[in-house]
Amino acid sequence: MNGHLQADELLMIVSIASYTIGALALLVYFFSREEWLRNLGAPLAVVGCLAQFTQLVVRFELTGVWPLLNLYGSLSLFAAMSVAIFIGFAIRYKLWFAGGFVLALAAVTLAYGVTWNEGTLPAVPSLQSYWAKVHVPIVVSSYAAFLVAFVFSCIYLVKYYAERKFETASVVGAAAGQAGNVSVRTAVFSTSAAIRTDTPAIDAAAEAGSAAAAWLKSLPSLAQLDVIVYRAIAIGLPLISIGIITGAAWAKEAWGAYWQWDPKETAALATWIVYLAYMHLHTRNAWRGFRTNWVSLLGFAVVIFTYLGVNIWISGLHSYKM
Amino acid sequence: MAKAIASAYDDFTRTFSNILFAVSLFVVWGILTLIGVIVDQGKTPDTYFSSYPAPIARAILRLSFDNIYHSPWYVGIIALILISLTVCTFKRVIPARLPPLRPVSIEHIPLHAAFEVHGSAAAARERVEHFFATRGWSIRKREFGGIEWSFADKHNWARRGVLVAHIGFVIIAAGTTLYWARGFSGEAAVATGDTVTIPHTQARLRLDRFNYTISPILTKSGMVYQPVDYVSHVTVTGADGVPRTEVLRVNHPIDVDGTLYYQASYGFAMRLRVTHNGAVVPSLSDRVLAEGESIDIPGTRESVTYDRFIPTVDRGTGEPSADPRINNPAAVLSVTQAGNEAGSALVPLHTWVDLGGGWRVVPQNYLIYSGFQYRYDPGIPLVGIGALVLLAGLIVSFYFLPARLYVRVDDRGDGARIGVAATTVKGYDMFATQFSALVTELRPALETS
Repeated sequence: MNGHLQADELLMIVSIASYTIGALALLVYFFSREEWLRNLGAPLAVVGCLAQFTQLVVRFELTGVWPLLNLYGSLSLFAAMSVAIFIGFAIRYKLWFAGGFVLALAAVTLAYGVTWNEGTLPAVPSLQSYWAKVHVPIVVSSYAAFLVAFVFSCIYLVKYYAERKFETASVVGAAAGQAGNVSVRTAVFSTSAAIRTDTPAIDAAAEAGSAAAAWLKSLPSLAQLDVIVYRAIAIGLPLISIGIITGAAWAKEAWGAYWQWDPKETAALATWIVYLAYMHLHTRNAWRGFRTNWVSLLGFAVVIFTYLGVNIWISGLHSYKM
Repeated sequence: MAKAIASAYDDFTRTFSNILFAVSLFVVWGILTLIGVIVDQGKTPDTYFSSYPAPIARAILRLSFDNIYHSPWYVGIIALILISLTVCTFKRVIPARLPPLRPVSIEHIPLHAAFEVHGSAAAARERVEHFFATRGWSIRKREFGGIEWSFADKHNWARRGVLVAHIGFVIIAAGTTLYWARGFSGEAAVATGDTVTIPHTQARLRLDRFNYTISPILTKSGMVYQPVDYVSHVTVTGADGVPRTEVLRVNHPIDVDGTLYYQASYGFAMRLRVTHNGAVVPSLSDRVLAEGESIDIPGTRESVTYDRFIPTVDRGTGEPSADPRINNPAAVLSVTQAGNEAGSALVPLHTWVDLGGGWRVVPQNYLIYSGFQYRYDPGIPLVGIGALVLLAGLIVSFYFLPARLYVRVDDRGDGARIGVAATTVKGYDMFATQFSALVTELRPALETS
């Protein structure tokens, strides 16, 4: 018994340590763009993520209890999936600069999850189902995708407001006013197919010697950030849809009804509605970008309420904390 | 009159096909749903007045927020969403997703490129079409006003993804409607050894025995009594009249003639022995009471209610223990006089409570009962199909990007001018990188071919 707890705790310590050091390295990299910091942070993200998945497998193998049936286990998967999805995005779209935020959130989540670790308890009857192995990982993975979207929405909005600030400060003068007529959301191609900037005020300020503007310019364009947010939500929304459907199927098997308006069910529905609204609004040129990124932030607030608020503060059929 | 109706119809379709209107409905739906999460549902008015300030409690009750999911607001907003979904499907989704081939002003489309190449226009057009065709683009040609246009489509089939997702919703709605129209559900509680007949099907269930397992586990926070198993051993008799034994567990319903039976709950019924001046009163002592049931004491205005079962009373303190396993059982009995609560007491089994006037009540023995839910739902296959269709639609919509290229080749005497523009169903940013790469590749390909 002690053996597996030690292995479990050891892997958890490796994960938290990797995430913490990796977060620090990548946060500094976010501002400094020192390559060695990225080369340190990125492998630590991978190590922490692998250690977490290993920890979950080891825990399952040694206890025989599916490890995601309590808040400790599901928060652990949430952190691991957040980092895993981010790693996928970082590799695909070269986004390591944002890794510090994801790793920091993962480390905080993990540390918080550890406070809910009450040891190994057998599953209550309603959780003794194969659906637990399907429904829970899918829903938690959707939350993780929404976390990644949240991080990039924050970066989008920082850059957007910075652009507005540089515009109003008239750093770029008349040229900025002219360029302001160009869509700030849409990448426009000239005959040479070169991307025209969507933050002309920042670019002008950077050329004028502003260090802050130069740093902001090094971030992806608003259009690119918006596409990243969309793609993260495009992972999360189908997952939460599958999660709600599998949850309904499980509820049908366990309680005889697809839907009982349990707080968790309805909160998940609210989450789904917000991200569905995001997807609909994203089809509108006038809403795509600034406004939809605020919707993404709102969506993640609802995710946190659904995930933690309902589990911890509101009693219902899903009150599985321990 | 006809004009007025047509105008009203136009207003109706314009409003209900508006995306912002649909999103506003989503927002209201989301807010109402969250209210339902935060405000306890289905409680008595007193509960709300004790939990909230009086004005808020009154508002909760008057606005039906205590039963919000069945309130006119909630049902109404869902109805509006369904109407919006239907109108959007026909007015917006289908036409917008399947745009006709038509000429465009290339320079006015944000994703565009134009350049000149050597050779005739016809040859250039052929090379452009070959370039796109070899990269998986489907080419169609049309002539408008004497100008030949080439249209290249990719993932054109995926334009139906949103339509498929909306159809999924409709199928799910049809499935749930089928349940409302033809399905039924209910609950039944049956004590060990008793039989219950299901009114809808006349099926009979006899509870042979009920077992539950609870494991005491010492955690970091203290002792936790974790329920591990609830199991009902039943004998069921369906339409064929042949009894058969079944085991019913949580997550493992049984099927009797298409109706599913679920293990829902369990509890402890109590047989009270009532004596008057030392003599047992058989008419009152034969009854088995479920929790919350009561018996009236004859010739008085008193009644005794069996409130709940206490599996273990701590022998040291005399108080109920947290241990749900049966060790030293007792019953909580309450007495009312003329409708007013006179008091309650924790009464161990085989001891008595004196009601006065020579009446005594003794908790004699307990009986486990099992609570079942049953449900006949002919809409299950439709709901399942609808869910799959919805998911397929979402996946197609999110992971495939239907794009259309508009290609116009103009003769420039010593060469040809090629204009290319791109549109997608998800705006321009989503396709910007691919378009950039495509154009970057196209230009040298035309020069060298």
